[in-house]
Amino acid sequence: MNGDRQQSGEKGVKVARRRTLPSAVGEPMVWLTGSALVLCLLMIATLATLVVVNGLRTFWPGDIDRVTLESGEVVMGIRTAEDKQGRYLYRVGNRDIGQESFRWIDGAKIAKIEQPEHAVMLEREAWGVWFGMPESVSMEADDGSLVALSEGAAETLDQFALLHPDARAQRAKAESMRKRELGKINHGIEHARLRIAGAEMGVDLRANASDRLGWVSWSAVLVVVVLAGVVWWVRREVGVGIGSSGVRQGKLTRFGCALILLFGLVGLWVGAPWRTQGVSAAERDVIVAQMEQEQEQLQAEYERVLAEIRMSEEQDSKLRLVVVEPTTERFAPIAQTRGDEPMMLSQVVRLIPANQLSVVGKTKVFFSRWWEFLSAGPREANTEGGVYPVIVGTVLMTLLLTVFVTPLGVIAALYLREYAKQGFGTSVIRIAVNNLAGVPSIVYGVFGLGFFCYTVGRYVDTGPVAGTSLQSGVWWLMFGAAIVTAIASFAFGLWGKPDPGHPPKIGNRVLARLSWLGWGVTVVLAVMVLWRTPYFAGFFGARAAEGSPTFGARGLLWASLTLALLTLPVVIVATEEAIAAVPNSMREGSFGCGASKWQTIRRIVLPGALPGILTGAILAMARGAGEVAPLMLVGAVKLNQDLPVSTTAPFLHADRSFMHLGFHIYDLGFQSPDSQAARPMVWTTTLLFLCIVFALNLAAILIRAKLRGRMTGAAI
Amino acid sequence: MIEAMSEKRSSTKSAVEVKAPEAPAPTSPSPVVPGGMGGEPAHYDVIDAIRRGESVEPTVHESMAEADAVIQSDDFKLWYGDAQAIHGISMGVPRGAVTALIGPSGCGKSTFLRSINRMNDLVEGVRVEGGITLNGSPVYEPTVDVIELRKRLGMVFQKPNPFPMSIFENVVYPLRIDGERRKSVLQEACERSLKSAALWDEVKDRLKESALGLSGGQQQRLCIARAAVADPEVLLLDEPCSALDPVATIRIEELISEISERYTVLIVTHNMQQAARVSDYTAFMYLGRLVEYGPTGDIFQNPKLIETAHYVSGRFG
Repeated sequence: MNGDRQQSGEKGVKVARRRTLPSAVGEPMVWLTGSALVLCLLMIATLATLVVVNGLRTFWPGDIDRVTLESGEVVMGIRTAEDKQGRYLYRVGNRDIGQESFRWIDGAKIAKIEQPEHAVMLEREAWGVWFGMPESVSMEADDGSLVALSEGAAETLDQFALLHPDARAQRAKAESMRKRELGKINHGIEHARLRIAGAEMGVDLRANASDRLGWVSWSAVLVVVVLAGVVWWVRREVGVGIGSSGVRQGKLTRFGCALILLFGLVGLWVGAPWRTQGVSAAERDVIVAQMEQEQEQLQAEYERVLAEIRMSEEQDSKLRLVVVEPTTERFAPIAQTRGDEPMMLSQVVRLIPANQLSVVGKTKVFFSRWWEFLSAGPREANTEGGVYPVIVGTVLMTLLLTVFVTPLGVIAALYLREYAKQGFGTSVIRIAVNNLAGVPSIVYGVFGLGFFCYTVGRYVDTGPVAGTSLQSGVWWLMFGAAIVTAIASFAFGLWGKPDPGHPPKIGNRVLARLSWLGWGVTVVLAVMVLWRTPYFAGFFGARAAEGSPTFGARGLLWASLTLALLTLPVVIVATEEAIAAVPNSMREGSFGCGASKWQTIRRIVLPGALPGILTGAILAMARGAGEVAPLMLVGAVKLNQDLPVSTTAPFLHADRSFMHLGFHIYDLGFQSPDSQAARPMVWTTTLLFLCIVFALNLAAILIRAKLRGRMTGAAI
Repeated sequence: MIEAMSEKRSSTKSAVEVKAPEAPAPTSPSPVVPGGMGGEPAHYDVIDAIRRGESVEPTVHESMAEADAVIQSDDFKLWYGDAQAIHGISMGVPRGAVTALIGPSGCGKSTFLRSINRMNDLVEGVRVEGGITLNGSPVYEPTVDVIELRKRLGMVFQKPNPFPMSIFENVVYPLRIDGERRKSVLQEACERSLKSAALWDEVKDRLKESALGLSGGQQQRLCIARAAVADPEVLLLDEPCSALDPVATIRIEELISEISERYTVLIVTHNMQQAARVSDYTAFMYLGRLVEYGPTGDIFQNPKLIETAHYVSGRFG
């Protein structure tokens, strides 16, 4: 290398040979950059390992120790940790007899540790775990005394295994009846009550009025979405572009539009949400009488179902299990206040005789716990049981947010890159969008709560704020003005187009500016017309008046929209980059074939940019799924066993609050009454959260890879 | 390298002194040894006038007047912002023949070609004056539907630009955007067009595969098939071989000759031999002006201007 230097420079002038700098030997930058990467990888690997190891450990049943202290006290539990001073942390459970569920025991004070063969850990429906020795399975006789069905630990365990599944099934049935049938009857009674209340205020809410309206509006949304999907699929399969001159295709478009319009009109007519019917005194009496009768019928039905449930529960309560703990020699009680009665068999979720289980047996318990974790709802302030509603809430919210944000972001980016005249304006917008990505997420939460929940949601519920709606004359005037400005802006826009082959003249520019201004005015007027209409009193007014708003409170819909807003910059930036990366020669080729701008975008630009767009959607999903702070304000709750999806109309209950894994982790770790017991669940939930986000990303990445293969020659 | 240097010269006025030192021979196109009489400055009446920015009457051969013009431009001028790229070109493109536009880089030949199907509309700040007609109908009128206009013309670009879709979809793209959905029609058109582009035998078994997997020459023939599938009135070829190797170039040239039996072709080319081989008429342009226009044989064998003679024999530009 040094020899070459002599040759450089001007001809004939020799350049002094320089010595290699020490810093150039051994390439220090290689070491520096390499070690930075290694450091990053190490940190990530540590995080992943920690989460996986701790998360998997939670459900593995540990051996149950019976510890005899020097003082003679006996403690039973599972050792979970030890510290440097030689103290052991035992999970001892048995909270109902007034002890902490975790206990530090000084190793020096331990006289004896044994692992009794029949020691069991009970997972119960309430009050956490119970450690002890099984004594008997008993049955309550008619006179209230208990008759033992088994004696001794081994026999008891066998008897338990025999009787437990049926007891559980019966209890599950009673519970589901309580929830489903009683819920339905309650719903009916509530409707009757609402209607009576409405009639007494002089308004006919009609049969299940508020509910039916909600049903109609939601079904309309669903049908339109499904219809749009079908149209999209058909177009895709037959390969037809919008806006081309094909006759049949035009027919299809017109037919689709007409259908949607017709559907909307019928929906409006059926729902007539703005129409509240007054009732006369006579009609009121009829309604009240009718409804009171209905209430009575429902009440009778309620009693009948309740009696059935009671009977089943009574049957259930006959079988008892006696498990005695060693410290005070008390058995696990049926309830904390009834310490003298042993617990019911059906209250046991799982009985684990950990010390006599082989590895296979422990594996079975491990998977059975995982299954419960994934498929059941939470118990015990979320520290036990499962996270099924949490998973559903998280996945649903993530999907909804993706559905909202992707089309919006893509369309916005399309305008910004393909249609808008590049210049100062677009630069400012780009900077603003990028800045939006840096706004702290809690700000979005506050905005979502204030705007979506309390403003838009309240409007959906009750219509314009009382007293702010315009007089009908003024309203129609504004309505007309909005239409006039819209038409005028459209016309100005057309006239403002410069002649082909000529740059815009002053007149063109003025008209274009006027058009923009006009559109601005139109939007303002349209918002006013909507916002202050005297003809709309909300879809769910009756309930909101009683202080239980439907959309005017935190819920899945608003949470998804808030997060969609939060992730919008990600999608816009990614899409813009993807669109810019489509070579101009493709666009020229398409224009050269006589394609219109939209056809070119739809057939060349969008397919070419699709992988990039999907990357944006993936990033948005990952970011949105991981957000917690805004969700605390706009929808995530500690506990809501009612899933946002159900088999009853309108199927997707976007107005309900929901549980979210991120918030769940926070709640487990920091809001739990028994934080020691919750800690392993924090790890497990974290592991699950990671897995879900990873799975969502992986799915999107796979789709993208498939598309990318189709778009490029790589598929050959 | 040499080409790049010569391009630079022809487009900068300061290079006038250094270039073309051969003897002026205003009336005779007989070959002169380049640089044979070193030091003597070039003396081109027409070119010098153009360089000075004067308006020069183009030399159009008499036989051109008889030709039936598909495209007729009438004192067509074009500006990119403030810079004028075309200074009033009036010429007709004869029907059913291949017409070549030649000239040094920056002479406006591509711009002129792209003005015919109004691809220049896509460039910001373009302004035109004068008119162009296609089969008698105006191209630059506010009432013209530019989409319809482009459908009447087929265009092939310098670099092959097949779309990232299957070979079949590439070829039938112009039909697809017209809303044609009948499989039989599309298949028939695809086969016909690929056959006329001499590509059918090579790709008939892999029509469903991506067009991006084809070689450069095949891609360009695919683009020609795509341009021809909707039966355009004129095919516009913008240096179709400049990105191809010699073998692929020859195939394309053969294809142009074949295709010219059915279509009117207007081709821009840098390659004089190519113009001589494929075209029936040749127009020589310089700095946005038409210099000489006539039958290819005359332009190459017996041009009226010394500039043309020197340009086609490679001693100038």
